[in-house]
Amino acid sequence: MQESGMIEAYTESLAGKLNFNPSLSQRVRQEIQDHLWEAAAADPSGNGREAVQHAIANFGDPHVIAAQFATAWLARQTWKVGVTIILVITSVFVAMKARVTWYAAAQWILSDHVRAVAKIVGLIDACAFYVSVILGIAGCVYVIVRRAPTTALCASHCSRLRHLLLLSAVSAAALSVSVIGDGVLTALRVVGREFTVEFVVPIFSIAIEIVCAGILIFSVRSIVVRMVHTAALLKA
Amino acid sequence: MLKGHLDLIMLATLAAGPAHGYAVIEAIKRKSGQAFDLPEGTIYPALHRLEQTGLLSSHWTTAESGRKRRVYALTRRGRRVLAERCAVWERFSVAIDGLLEGTEPCKSPA
Repeated sequence: MQESGMIEAYTESLAGKLNFNPSLSQRVRQEIQDHLWEAAAADPSGNGREAVQHAIANFGDPHVIAAQFATAWLARQTWKVGVTIILVITSVFVAMKARVTWYAAAQWILSDHVRAVAKIVGLIDACAFYVSVILGIAGCVYVIVRRAPTTALCASHCSRLRHLLLLSAVSAAALSVSVIGDGVLTALRVVGREFTVEFVVPIFSIAIEIVCAGILIFSVRSIVVRMVHTAALLKA
Repeated sequence: MLKGHLDLIMLATLAAGPAHGYAVIEAIKRKSGQAFDLPEGTIYPALHRLEQTGLLSSHWTTAESGRKRRVYALTRRGRRVLAERCAVWERFSVAIDGLLEGTEPCKSPA
């Protein structure tokens, strides 16, 4: 194999193990290629093939290096999930409060025949939202209390992120129920009214809630998928 | 022991100015009198981690060879953390010096 082929094969092997994060994988590939070429050029043997072999041997086992990158990645994801939960729940709360305030200001009152249904839906909505908030806060407290240095073992980051993702997933599910409840409540107020520009406020606030819940679900799902790759890397 | 001080070693190395990974490794070897001959691959995850925590910044440049090269530099926060860790190390070093002063070297059991 040519020198370039050896370097290519090594960096490909390392980058392939980092496919849980494509941008990191690409960056590491270019950075390590530069390193190996420079190390080979500085090798005292002067023999191209031997120099590249030395450079690769000195660099170390790609699996071990990939696991170290994974550790840093896991630590960062844990914080990202915590921040995402807080931002999403806060945004949904603000949108919800803004809509309710607007209903009061615009005097959009529920008609009598839907009041009983709205009461039940409102109760489910409120309970689901509180569950979501409590679990979201619990997740953030857990991240802070179980704070681990970024140099800590990957297993501790993995376990921390797994627990946080579990809390986040249940929180996201509860938030989705709450958002559906808000959608139903909004529909109960909107149905039967003549469409005017005033409809923009409830519809826009519901859209914000749906987007927020979607962001949380997408974030949790995306990290779970990537974490499965990372866990496989750490087990191998 | 080296593992626990890797961050301090790298921050101290980059205090001299921005450098890419290979130059950092060479500087560590040179400045430590070859005492710290680290597995080269371990430097990159550590550089990446320090960048994620905001102690380093990095950008791509083009080397003379035409290859893309990632260059790392200390951030303001990185300098502050380095100063703090240097102070802790100084205190630790003085304390150990005090403990070892006048102590006879340990002898292996007969």
